[in-house]
Amino acid sequence: MNIQRKYSLPNCTLLLEGLSDSSKAVHVQELRPVLSILVNAECQISGYKPLLGGREFFESLARAASAYAQECLSNVSNPQAHNPEVELVQFERIDTNKHKMIVNSELPQPTLEYDRSNIKPPIEVDLNTVQLFDLVEAIDQFFADTQTLPDLTAQLEPVPKRYNSSKKTFVQQAVPATLGVSSVAAAAVIFALMPAPKIPTPEPETEKETRSEVKSSTTDENNNVSSKAEDVSESTKSNNNSTKNSSPQVEDLEALLSTVPEITDTSMLKLLTRRIRNQIDSAWKDRSLVGENSIYRVAVATDASIVGYKSVNKGADDRVKNTPLPELLYNPNERNPASEPIAQFRIVFTPEGVLQVSPWHGYGRELIGTQINDPDKVNNLKKNLENKISEKLSQDRNFEKVLKYRVAVNQEGAITDYEPVNEAALEKFRDTPLPQLYKSAKTSQASNLNQEPVAQFQVEFQPDAELSVTPWQASQ
Amino acid sequence: MSVSASLTPFDSPVPESMPMILENLPDPVIEGQVCPRKTRVQIDLILLALEALELGGSEAILAFAQELDLKVIIKNRVNLWRLRNTNPMRRAHIRRPLRITEAKALVVIASYLARRLTVVIRQLLMIYQQLSDKQIPLEQNLRLSNYLERFRAHFKSRMNPRRAGLLSLTSDEKIDELAINLLGQLLFCTGTSGMQRFWISLFDGEVE
Repeated sequence: MNIQRKYSLPNCTLLLEGLSDSSKAVHVQELRPVLSILVNAECQISGYKPLLGGREFFESLARAASAYAQECLSNVSNPQAHNPEVELVQFERIDTNKHKMIVNSELPQPTLEYDRSNIKPPIEVDLNTVQLFDLVEAIDQFFADTQTLPDLTAQLEPVPKRYNSSKKTFVQQAVPATLGVSSVAAAAVIFALMPAPKIPTPEPETEKETRSEVKSSTTDENNNVSSKAEDVSESTKSNNNSTKNSSPQVEDLEALLSTVPEITDTSMLKLLTRRIRNQIDSAWKDRSLVGENSIYRVAVATDASIVGYKSVNKGADDRVKNTPLPELLYNPNERNPASEPIAQFRIVFTPEGVLQVSPWHGYGRELIGTQINDPDKVNNLKKNLENKISEKLSQDRNFEKVLKYRVAVNQEGAITDYEPVNEAALEKFRDTPLPQLYKSAKTSQASNLNQEPVAQFQVEFQPDAELSVTPWQASQ
Repeated sequence: MSVSASLTPFDSPVPESMPMILENLPDPVIEGQVCPRKTRVQIDLILLALEALELGGSEAILAFAQELDLKVIIKNRVNLWRLRNTNPMRRAHIRRPLRITEAKALVVIASYLARRLTVVIRQLLMIYQQLSDKQIPLEQNLRLSNYLERFRAHFKSRMNPRRAGLLSLTSDEKIDELAINLLGQLLFCTGTSGMQRFWISLFDGEVE
């Protein structure tokens, strides 16, 4: 049965259309049955065309608007309101009484062949405070309505200190995972995928060889962090155990990747980053249980389901039960991973309760588009980029560590892509002008997904406020 | 820290039975169940804006305390004055903690008052929008300028100019800007979950 729910305020009407889950409905003749499956969401702001979307759009709208309302009340920036990597909807303050809502288009249901032509440029809606309030109020009335999507509830929480203070010490973990592991043999063990269509019978010889690899690398690592000898033996043991335990299910990732295509498309990776983050973030309940950074390499199918994961750093294997990964793992019996393209992500659960999600190889491992090689042009673009960044870089900005990014610009000098290269860069990207410059480039020319020629640079923000821009070396 | 206990003989401890209405507001994860500085400033300023909107605002606060069964926490005028003077910007600032329960009671009352004034708040914000869009001076509108004038008067008479100066609230324009900002915040207090939203926002950037 098709159900409609409408929440009307003077400047905003929220219309939700959906179905009732018949398996759960006890009383079929209920006066007001529960709308439990959302099919369409429509948000009409007075003076604008209605915004249409599905559940992902609506959830993101509710989250971002709610977070932004909180920001208006406290004047403390709320990360959930400005998160283009994760949310379809973002808000920005223009002045005391003016606010900008940015809605990225919801991607069509992902298919095996994703089609970039379906990605539309973001829609911008300018709201005054009264309009914004009406939007938030419509959403609050929806939250208060127990007969409409009862699984969605308002999450009101104060912004933690860690987001407010810029002086956060970042604990460098032992493994800089973005560098990966160069040895293919080690990769076979460390980066294995859990669910496999068939049970492989590993050859004893290879296993022995690879295990010794793990042992030696673990020992090195422990020497580096100078932990006690006991710890070394213990962790090596547990590592071996886990290798043994999982080995019946383990599938060589490299082998899998040779049979299925790996998703490298930047826009698809961004979409998946967003979905994966949402999925894990909402499933990650007790955040106090992660004592240390737990880093995992996670394989994800095009519909954002997690088809495999593997711990990357020491102890992450033991702590996996404290993360939502096991429960999110897609039931391997229901699908055949060998036939689908996959993307790989690096997922970090930090003890502060922050979730970090980034593509394993960064965005666009293969350099996107053709490269601009003409030295004169590159030089001009370099100067242009330097100016653009310095302009936006506030004078008093002081980074504690060097932040390194790969930045791609097109012939017009607009930033078409950027990617953090080191850990600190990933942490602090919001403090740099890059997201802003990237966004303004994106809105001014919607065609950034086209494979136009680009020049790539390494941009470094030094702690002493020095900016360095050098041509990117692909081998870095 | 036993300091707070020894300094507050006038304020009898909060009674065991908590008024039901306060249960709508969760306890923040904060040390010692006392409010951080920012929380104390913001609650007082929101009440100040309400007083500028409605003549006899402080009477209304006490009337609501009575009506909402919050008399156990906000007992009388002197008690209310003491609670509000925990705002460090006040001329008559008292070094006394503002307990979480006391803050909750003030937030509940502020939200009820704001809800009663919803229409006025919306109208003033719309007027402000129209005037600033057309770049007409705000004084041109009688209702808005009444509010701003009253707010400035309250602000200047009660706040320590040196402390207000720290927040660069030195000029009339700056104080007007604050008054408009507070008007927007009051609007959010009027909503279905306004009380909760206002309460939670008071601890933004203060919890671990």
